[in-house]
Amino acid sequence: MSTATMDASGHATDTDSTMDSFSYDDKIVRMFVTATILWGFVATLVGLIVAVILVYPWMTAGAPWIAFGRLRPLHTNAAIFAFAGNAIFAAIYYSTQRLCKARMWSDFLSHVHFWGWQAIIVAAAITLPLGFTQSKEYAELEWPIDIAIAVVWLFVFGGNFLMTLINRRERHMYVALWFYIATIVTVALLHVFNNLVLPFGLLESYSVYAGVQDAFMQWWYGHNAVAFFLTTPFLGLMYYFLPKAADRPVFSYKLSIIHFWSLVFIYIWAGPHHLHYTSLPEWASTLGMLFSLMLWMPSWGGMINGLLTLRGAWHKVAADPILKFFVVGVTFYGMATFEGPLLSIKSVNALSHYTDWTIAHVHSGALGWNGFMTFGMIYWLLPRIFQTKMWSDRMVSLHFWTSTLGILLYIIPIYAAGLMQGLMWREIDPETGALANPDFIETIQSIVPLWQLRILGGLLYVGGVVMLAINAVMTWTTRPATYEVPVITARRLSKTYQDDTPATTTELADAPVLELGKKMDIFAKMNWHRKWERLPVKFTILTTAAVLVATLFELVPTFLIRSNVPTIATVEPYTPLELAGREIYISEGCYNCHSQQIRPMVAETKRYGEYSKPGEFIYDRPFQWGSRRIGLDLAREGGRQSSFWHWTHFEDPASVSEGSVMPEYSHLLEADLRFSGIPALVNTAHQLGAPYDEELTNAEEMAYKQAERVAAEIVSQGGPANVQEKKAIALIAYLQRLGTDYFRTEDDEAAADAGEEVDAETAEAAEEIAMSN
Amino acid sequence: MSSSTTSGSGQPELTSHDYDGIQEFDNPLPGWWKWMFVATIVFSVFYALYFHIGAPGRSIAEQYDAELAANTRLQFAVIGDLTADEATINKYIHEESWLKVGKVVFQANCISCHGRDGEGKVGPNLTDEAFKNIRNLEDIARVLNKGAGKGAMPAWESRLHPNEIVLVSAYVASLRGQNLPGKAAEGTAIDPWPEYVAPPKSDVEEQPTEG
Repeated sequence: MSTATMDASGHATDTDSTMDSFSYDDKIVRMFVTATILWGFVATLVGLIVAVILVYPWMTAGAPWIAFGRLRPLHTNAAIFAFAGNAIFAAIYYSTQRLCKARMWSDFLSHVHFWGWQAIIVAAAITLPLGFTQSKEYAELEWPIDIAIAVVWLFVFGGNFLMTLINRRERHMYVALWFYIATIVTVALLHVFNNLVLPFGLLESYSVYAGVQDAFMQWWYGHNAVAFFLTTPFLGLMYYFLPKAADRPVFSYKLSIIHFWSLVFIYIWAGPHHLHYTSLPEWASTLGMLFSLMLWMPSWGGMINGLLTLRGAWHKVAADPILKFFVVGVTFYGMATFEGPLLSIKSVNALSHYTDWTIAHVHSGALGWNGFMTFGMIYWLLPRIFQTKMWSDRMVSLHFWTSTLGILLYIIPIYAAGLMQGLMWREIDPETGALANPDFIETIQSIVPLWQLRILGGLLYVGGVVMLAINAVMTWTTRPATYEVPVITARRLSKTYQDDTPATTTELADAPVLELGKKMDIFAKMNWHRKWERLPVKFTILTTAAVLVATLFELVPTFLIRSNVPTIATVEPYTPLELAGREIYISEGCYNCHSQQIRPMVAETKRYGEYSKPGEFIYDRPFQWGSRRIGLDLAREGGRQSSFWHWTHFEDPASVSEGSVMPEYSHLLEADLRFSGIPALVNTAHQLGAPYDEELTNAEEMAYKQAERVAAEIVSQGGPANVQEKKAIALIAYLQRLGTDYFRTEDDEAAADAGEEVDAETAEAAEEIAMSN
Repeated sequence: MSSSTTSGSGQPELTSHDYDGIQEFDNPLPGWWKWMFVATIVFSVFYALYFHIGAPGRSIAEQYDAELAANTRLQFAVIGDLTADEATINKYIHEESWLKVGKVVFQANCISCHGRDGEGKVGPNLTDEAFKNIRNLEDIARVLNKGAGKGAMPAWESRLHPNEIVLVSAYVASLRGQNLPGKAAEGTAIDPWPEYVAPPKSDVEEQPTEG
């Protein structure tokens, strides 16, 4: 245990300082560890369920709240914010107290943090299946929950953490703390700015950004959620728990410094690599790619520092399953952070984007790095926080091997699936110049067996989490009647600090080199960083500055340069009914399987039509470009199918598209649309800049009229009568609009105006037919 | 790995740091790590300059245009621009290699309504003898271009190349008469497609072989 004598050693003139006695709060660590295990089980189980219903969509029997489009966000949110989130908190609460030689500043705030976060998770688990979503990946939660996250994260957790740093009794901050600081600051920033919305209901809102800019903000957020929620805090975790478990010094202090700052500064630029070949301006895409390449070594700095810390301790790894978890975890980190830059190269991304390759990539990161680092930490913590022996060491070993096999059985088939489908999509018959695989569903059917294999891998991984849960509960049962609370004594930090470290010297001092050379040599020894480590507030400000400067370099031009989004004269706002249909599209989570962004590639435009232009999305709040094509791209879906076809397709997709994995949406054919809710949509869109006129006063009636026209079309095409009030009609109206403005000419507009009356007649005629039937 | 600062015992030097028992070695940055990092930065500068200096043909849009032009040449250089008249469509019904191209267009765009083999689903069965909007071969191309049945059949004019319209028309025409079990016959029976007289063997160069 750390003692006062250790503290007094070295450099100090702490004559005025006094000894403090205190204890660490391990109860909060026990709570977060318990929550981690519980949510880890939920997150992986929901993952398993979505993997199953993806292959067997009939299993959901058309129930909307368990359809793939609604459950997949629940899975990702649970994995990131519930499982990884609670793991981070457990790690931070345990290690920060010890690294600072201080109890958390406020036990009350610790508990508010714990219960607040769990309440947020529960709110997510309720609202997402009900279809309340912002539809931005990993930022799906609606605005009231977002506000709760911001408050709990920044003020409760962040405040408590920073105050603990300020009240620490260890003069210098260890590298783990640097990573925690970067995590707290950046996640708050990302979360707040990506989730700026204008609400039009308790759980409904429009993004303040539209189209290209919304996409940019979302992937600035999305990529850095990976960076600052799933990477930096886990690096902090690694820097504390790995040397502890291995009982070895960390490989290189200098490497810690350089890889920390370069990681923090470079990561934040890399977001646009999620949007290669899309309507995002090309310069932004290039920046995203190049900064991802530059990120390779800073990321590997963490891996090297982790793995080389085990130098001379490999015999321990062979015997200790905890170290095995860490070694495999860090290795997966190295693999994923090599693959990340690789996937960010435009030509590689051209193949991988929209395929399962991305899914395999994130799972090698999430299951391998986040999962295994968490499991290693929990197994190291359990005997310490429950003050007893591990119930079964053999089960820990079994968990390790089961999960390792599970990961491999998950990622190998999914890598293969991604590569296969990507190659099938782009293949052009060299003789005829036509698509080699024109039928999209064939490309899906060819990877379904690989999806089935993944279920097995997922099953093994969930099995591992169950073993962890059993082992944790059994260990808990052997805890002492009352926990021992060791009293720690440490010297309080003096107000003034006299740095006794001798001035850094250089071997070049007497050499015949320029003064600048000598200065650089001294700088390269990095003793200047030591001073920063004594100043938590300054350190936090510097980290914030690094992140902010990088962000602004990209963000400001994206928003200010008008040529990024050239205006297209024929692009007009959605009609009131189409807006309502769009809300259904978002609520059902269609974006989880359908992209709306055709890339400028011949194989793609042959399949889907003219590639997407930035000006087509100026009324899209939020954007719906998607990231994975489990189904076809819908950017030019308007007019591609008859309205009756859509109706039939929602009723039973497989009946028109044999082999389709889309679940049925017959509930949309039965439920009535709430027309009275439409004016709120129109008004909010108008406030955000959509030029509406008659729509502002007459939205409901206009929507109803358009619904009657669509319904009449369906009747005339052989469909059922009297369906104008159904939700599906609004959704069909939206789908029939997609991508059509780009081809509209002035003549069309005149024709459309004239056509409305004819359409009205058709509607009347259809009604007559319906009645006579 | 680069040389690490080692003390006499061959062990790297420790810093004086100690945090809750965790110590740190004072190892220098691994040389390969440092130089790889520098290399990625240097590469990035050159990459950005190359693609964004404004030289023609390097932007994504320009690359796409070139790729599309090459593909169009590969597909249609031999046959030139086709007009969707009866004679042309009839000709391609009997050019098997071109019929294959029409089939690909059909598979990419038409099977969701007309079925994989044209047996009909929401849209009519194309393999029987009854037709709703078609009296002759030219009508097929017209319906493809403009649509029919108030949007029941979408218009494909703005989505497909005019040659693709001809070729898919030929493919659809070729399906007639198979009478596959599928959607029941709709519309009325029409005259058979006109006789086709193969031209003398002089047009072998029209085979879509080399690009």
